[in-house]
Amino acid sequence: MYQTTNTRIIVPEFDVRQPTSLEAVLRELEHNAKGTRLLAGGTDLLVQIKLERTQPARLIDITRVPELMGMAVKDGMLIVGAATSIRTLANGVGVRERYTALAESCDAFSTVPVMIMGTIGGNLCNASPAADTAPALFAFDGAVELASCEGSRRTVPLDEFFVGPGRTVMREDEVMVAVRLPKTAAGTGSAFVKIGRVAADISKVSAAVKLVRKDDRVSECRIAVGAVAATPMRAYTAEQYLAGRRIDAKTLADAARAVEEDVKPITDVRSTKEYRTHVAGVAVKDALGAAWQRARGGERQ
Amino acid sequence: MSTTVKIPATHLETGSRQVGRPLERIDAKGKAVGSTRYAGDYVMPDMLHAKVLRSTVASANLRRLDVTKARALPGVVCVLTGADVPKHMVSTDIPGQTGSWGQNTGQPILVHDRVRYFGEPLALIASESRDIAERAMTLIEPEYEPLPGVFDPIEALKPEAPLVQGVGNVVASQMVRKGDVKHGFETADVIVERVYRTQFIEHAFLEPEVGLSWIDENDVINIHVSTQVIEHFRVVADAVGLPYNRVRIRGALVGGGFGGKEDVTVEIYLALLALATRRPVRLEYTREDSFVGHGKRHPFVMTYRTGVKNDGTITALEAKFIADAGAYVFLSPSVMVYAATAAPGPYKIDNLIADAKAVATNNMYTSAFRGFGAAQACVAYEQQMDEVAKAIGMDPVKFRRKNYMRAGDRTATGVVVPSAIWTEQCVDQAWTALGEPVEVSGPIKIGRGVAACLQGYGRLTSLHDTSEGWVGVERDGTVTVRSGVTDIGAGQVSALAQIAAEVLGVTLQDVAVYNSDSAVTPLAGTTTATRALYMTGNAIRQAAEAVRRRLAQRAAKAFNVPPDDIDMAFSKVFVADDPAQSMAFRDLVRICAAEGIHCSELAMFCAPFTEKLNPETGQGQVHPDFSYGAHAIELTVDTETGEITVIKSVGAHDVGRAINPAAVEGQIEGGAVQGQGYALSEEMIYKEGRLMTPSLSEYLIPTAMDVPQVKCIILESGSGLGPFGAKGIGEAALTPVAAAIANAVADAIGVRIAELPITPEKVVNALREKE
Ligand SMILES: Cc1cc2nc3c(=O)[nH]c(=O)nc-3n(C[C@H](O)[C@H](O)[C@H](O)COP(=O)(O)OP(=O)(O)OC[C@H]3O[C@@H](n4cnc5c(N)ncnc54)[C@H](O)[C@@H]3O)c2cc1C
Repeated sequence: MYQTTNTRIIVPEFDVRQPTSLEAVLRELEHNAKGTRLLAGGTDLLVQIKLERTQPARLIDITRVPELMGMAVKDGMLIVGAATSIRTLANGVGVRERYTALAESCDAFSTVPVMIMGTIGGNLCNASPAADTAPALFAFDGAVELASCEGSRRTVPLDEFFVGPGRTVMREDEVMVAVRLPKTAAGTGSAFVKIGRVAADISKVSAAVKLVRKDDRVSECRIAVGAVAATPMRAYTAEQYLAGRRIDAKTLADAARAVEEDVKPITDVRSTKEYRTHVAGVAVKDALGAAWQRARGGERQ
Repeated sequence: MSTTVKIPATHLETGSRQVGRPLERIDAKGKAVGSTRYAGDYVMPDMLHAKVLRSTVASANLRRLDVTKARALPGVVCVLTGADVPKHMVSTDIPGQTGSWGQNTGQPILVHDRVRYFGEPLALIASESRDIAERAMTLIEPEYEPLPGVFDPIEALKPEAPLVQGVGNVVASQMVRKGDVKHGFETADVIVERVYRTQFIEHAFLEPEVGLSWIDENDVINIHVSTQVIEHFRVVADAVGLPYNRVRIRGALVGGGFGGKEDVTVEIYLALLALATRRPVRLEYTREDSFVGHGKRHPFVMTYRTGVKNDGTITALEAKFIADAGAYVFLSPSVMVYAATAAPGPYKIDNLIADAKAVATNNMYTSAFRGFGAAQACVAYEQQMDEVAKAIGMDPVKFRRKNYMRAGDRTATGVVVPSAIWTEQCVDQAWTALGEPVEVSGPIKIGRGVAACLQGYGRLTSLHDTSEGWVGVERDGTVTVRSGVTDIGAGQVSALAQIAAEVLGVTLQDVAVYNSDSAVTPLAGTTTATRALYMTGNAIRQAAEAVRRRLAQRAAKAFNVPPDDIDMAFSKVFVADDPAQSMAFRDLVRICAAEGIHCSELAMFCAPFTEKLNPETGQGQVHPDFSYGAHAIELTVDTETGEITVIKSVGAHDVGRAINPAAVEGQIEGGAVQGQGYALSEEMIYKEGRLMTPSLSEYLIPTAMDVPQVKCIILESGSGLGPFGAKGIGEAALTPVAAAIANAVADAIGVRIAELPITPEKVVNALREKE
């Protein structure tokens, strides 16, 4: 209803904690997870508070926790702290070269302030079907590392992380610590394509592709699409179809058609089911074309 | 963001020292550094915060409105409902400084028993804090008995349609009849017909509605408010039952209006709450309040039928407009006049039928919006011109050139335009400025389009519009200007300063403008209808010239020359041919003061006054004069995704005389951007009357990332009725943009999408159907 609005000024009637270590965050959660929400950049959470979709009594600001910030490469794997901002991630050393689609998905964020404030963890935990980094992380076979107050840690492949719009497998007492991306193989190329309504917008449809080009064929390929189903999703049919094939006009068209058959978009105020279905195919086709070009010769890595 | 080419007529006065220069506007610095105070920046001790509760249904009887819980909430000082406020209706037409009477169209201040649209105000709350007011809103329980509504103007025309209000759903109509249309169509070689549609759109000014009211020591209600019309003090007085001289409206620099602050916004609510509580009250709309709180642009269904000979001569035009007026009348009658009389655009069409009807529905009401009906007409006539040109295989610019109305020709309503008609120059300039097309390949197609327009400036002459202004000189040589004019961001105030500086031979820094106070500044009329410069500028010029005449006379005596030989510039008064004979302007003012020579003047400028148009034929004068202009667009369409990217955007307008070319550029750029939103992305969507696009995340205005650098071409015929030959640019800058974009899309993809906004979804569908 119009009275709950995303531009009104809300009176801050919640308790805010600003722990400076992961341990302290977990301790806070241990005491009362109910009614508590983690606050990263707040670019999703504050909107939801204003719209009264959530009314937390306590916020835990996690942007001062060193364990959750920054990027590192360990055993060839890229580890990104969950509270790393979208902009920091986009500019991370080697990210653009090795994980091009991910950097492009960060670039595609609607505006600079949101890129500076918003975090990768927030983007994933908010679990919007249109979250821009999700398809790219699917494509790179990413996984998320979760910590809970009992001290347990688990790693969940991103494929299994999202359950529905706004819903994930994460428990209330868990914190996302990091996102892990496996090393990319020689001959990898990737790309991300976003279709919005105006330049500063969330996705109407998005697509990310990562493929490995070997002997001028697709030796391995992962395709994911956003905003076309209840969660970001893999386009398995197209992936299987492309394995072992060359990318040319015909295979691109066939892959696009396969994507159109796999997606299950809805009609809403931003677009129609028909358009999203059609354009999901186009977006994948364009991303495949770009990834194929980039993978040429396998000079990356 | 823009590149500007200025094309002056050779015969313009070249001697001007202030007028015609892109001076830094007097409001520029405050806005740039953030020190400008807007209406929302004013607070008072002991002030209450107000909120408006609005209906969440579009058509119902209000059975009960229980406010007891809200009244009982600690911190709530006052809750007013329809039962507590006078049964007066708020007049919804003809605001401002006009001689004509309103037409008894009205809306209840608060719903008494019948809700007619989603968002209709039900109750007012004043409390110690905004938060409490918001909580109080949730404690009010309206009980509705739903009534069938009607949500489409064409449905609303059917005899069985539910009646929205009054005696019929047609709330305004205007027809124009000229020549012999039947014969015109008979002599045509080709007849082209098409229905064009436009959508509800939102003004989306930066600054949502806001105001502060208090009762002063003289028992006068003061309202400090963001408005285009301080003359609403009369409407407020009528609504609360006070004499007109007991309500004082003070404006402030306005963060955009575009017609959305032409109707009354928060003023009456503020007055009622101040009267009820005897405390200052502040009411500020959120963006979402603003979206449901003010009228929108009328959506139009426009059926155009044009007869043409193979050589490109237009033989007849029949244009039918059906507009959605929403639940109350507001400015629909005037919008219909603008639309019907602009039906043929800037073309000479001797056989013409135009019929415009505004039809009531249970949608949001519609009212003024930059371009005011003439903008919708342009969306149709300029698309139709392209389609007719295509039907006879003629180049669209050549076809237009064959049909332009030229000096001496009669308009749709049978009058000869008093100024130059430079449509051809504008179109040619804009079209040529597109230059070489960009290169494209693959699924990307390129398209170009142009649209010309005419737009009246000054209000309807039947309104008998006037403007008063005061100019005085001070003993230190500075100049004071007093004018009720509101500055809605276009530089209205700065232009007055520039005019006074020019006439009195001082510089812009020497002039202070006091404006926008209905009790102490001379009433200048609305800042609407592209009238502020024309009307107020003329009043100030007249006043300044009267002062100058008296000063020059005294100087002439001192120098012993005839008064005509006296010149004034840069704060000096001198003999024109012998500048050595001079004195400081300041000294002359002192002499005059000592001798009792009147150093100030209150002037009144009157627009032409006419009767209303003949109701049967629509013949007669409509506007004082017209501005002519054109916009050209180059864009690309991705035929796979339907995405449209505007690459080049050129506006070329004859502004008569650019008082401040930098301000003119601002208007052309803003028009280009707003027009692009109208064409491509903006739409207020109502479903059964309920707003589906309640915030700026659903309602999409273009940002800097969506628009190209706009090229502005300023032509100066010097022929306008405004000060120094100025015409007007405020509305004309927007009017042709959407049609130019629609034409460019059709050029790119070979099919026409005759319904705005042209979204990628529609492009993809249209391309599918074409296959
Ligand atoms: C104007 C605007 C434009 C936007 N444009 C885009 C866009 O183009 N693309 C896009 O994808 N999104 C966009 N968004 C959405 C949003 O900015 C992103 O999803 C962003 O990444 C969220 O990150 P955050 O740090 O701000 O999350 P927050 O709002 O702080 O948190 C979001 C949710 O995640 C939880 N959370 C955050 N971090 C953790 C953690 N480490 N562990 C467990 N739970 C956690 C929070 O409790 C909350 O429930 C936009 C938002 C706005 C307001």
